[in-house]
Amino acid sequence: MRCVRHPVPSRRRRSLLLRVAGITALLACAGRAGADVGPDAGATEPAVHPTLLWTMAQAVPSPEWLFRGGAVHFGARWQVTPLLYSFGINRKLSPWRSFVAEPLVRHVGSIELFGAPEYLALGGSFAKSWLFRGGLRAYFPLLHRGEYLSCSIGGSAFHVRDRGGSAYEGGLYTLFGFLGAQVTYSPAAHFRATTLSLSLRIF
Amino acid sequence: MARATTVVLSALLLGASAPACSYPTHLVAGSLTALVSEPAPVPRKAAHPYRADARLAVLWVGHATALIQIDDRVILTDPVFTSTVGLLSKRLVAPGLDPEALPPLSAVLISHMHFDHLSLGSLERIEAKTRVALVPRGGLVYVPDFAFDTVEVAPWQTWEDRGMRMTAVPVEHTGDRYRIDGAWMTTSRTAWVVQYHGITVYFGGDTAYERDLFVRARARFPRIDVALLPIAPIHPRPQKRLHHTDPGEAVQAFLDLGARWMIPIHYDTFVNSTDAFGEPARVLRRVIAERRLPRGSAHILEHGEQRVLIPRVTTRSSRPQDDSATRPGGPRSPRGPAD
Repeated sequence: MRCVRHPVPSRRRRSLLLRVAGITALLACAGRAGADVGPDAGATEPAVHPTLLWTMAQAVPSPEWLFRGGAVHFGARWQVTPLLYSFGINRKLSPWRSFVAEPLVRHVGSIELFGAPEYLALGGSFAKSWLFRGGLRAYFPLLHRGEYLSCSIGGSAFHVRDRGGSAYEGGLYTLFGFLGAQVTYSPAAHFRATTLSLSLRIF
Repeated sequence: MARATTVVLSALLLGASAPACSYPTHLVAGSLTALVSEPAPVPRKAAHPYRADARLAVLWVGHATALIQIDDRVILTDPVFTSTVGLLSKRLVAPGLDPEALPPLSAVLISHMHFDHLSLGSLERIEAKTRVALVPRGGLVYVPDFAFDTVEVAPWQTWEDRGMRMTAVPVEHTGDRYRIDGAWMTTSRTAWVVQYHGITVYFGGDTAYERDLFVRARARFPRIDVALLPIAPIHPRPQKRLHHTDPGEAVQAFLDLGARWMIPIHYDTFVNSTDAFGEPARVLRRVIAERRLPRGSAHILEHGEQRVLIPRVTTRSSRPQDDSATRPGGPRSPRGPAD
């Protein structure tokens, strides 16, 4: 598998970017192992792999608003997909993706493991403002095989301020999944909250 | 109320997506303008496009969508019947044919993965009528399962079905769908050559002018009857020429291919350039006059217009007398075995 390298301004930034790209590439390669030959010899597996552009796209956060105890807190969410199984992709191709998942492959119908670090302006120190979420989400196509409209349901476990909890979520997406709205509800007694996210996911 | 909601929603969508997609401002503005107006109607849509009196007929539905009939076989190219492509680019003229009016399709040809050529919503509408869809190598990932089979065909490879041969022919274009996938979607674009009962049709899809590709296609298919060639987008030329032929280049491609007739496609249907409506056809007419192409070489169709190029009542040996005389490449030699 070949990764594309692009020039970046500074050596320090390049080192960081290459490190991130390298890790994601390794994980993506691992996820694709055994997926190069589809059940049909005439089907070409796409050589999906992380690129600098893809890595930069992952850095774009989704803004969110957390409603808790009568107050509203602004936040930002990033998302990664360690593993995705697409049940809507053409049956001649491998349904597995790791980290890099094409919008159609996701929104045509899929189940994904996701991780989501979230920064929430809850007050207090910077370190105490992070929530880490991991979970399972299923996407279902509604219009144009999910490219015009799709929805999702899912569940997650999260960790915030040294305590854990669980949450349920639903979402609606358009524009090939680039734009969406997600609602997450946490019934945990110590962190009962509803989060509305404007999902911006370029890839 | 619904219209206002749609406009507001679309404005929000466009506003949010425009920076991310680097979509040119004029396209966004053009689509927004078109959003508040209905696509221009097509006055006389064919209710029964299958022509028993035709050996070769072409109906231009709009953009790169064309219904090609060769004897008893019917092929649809790059089917797009939706009111937008990619949600953002608005349709200017209604489809020249309703999907409900389509006869059973022997094959659907997809040239590449761009939204104005591969429309999953449109494929859903013709799913029950389609026997098979052919896509270029690497394109299968963007065609989910339908009731019909989808087959990848590599460049210069031929797919055959009951005597009909369809060959993928290289073009100069891009094969990605979402920009970021351009790093690995490098092969999924093609032109198609259809051969059946001694008739040969070239469907160019979308391509830049690359003389060598057309010359090689002619060497492989020396007797192309009709070439469907893109003539737009024209402007802005420095950017568009990398991936799109303008009318002058399309005419040159037509001459390079040595085809008998040319039908222009890929213009005046969606907002995808700064071209004025009607400009590509006007420029094409001017180029045809300047290049002194024989009368009848190019058939510039209206949306929904069908042209019978070879009527059934005439045999191949008794084609119209202007056959060899009007052929841009000169008189024809006797037709040998196809390909």
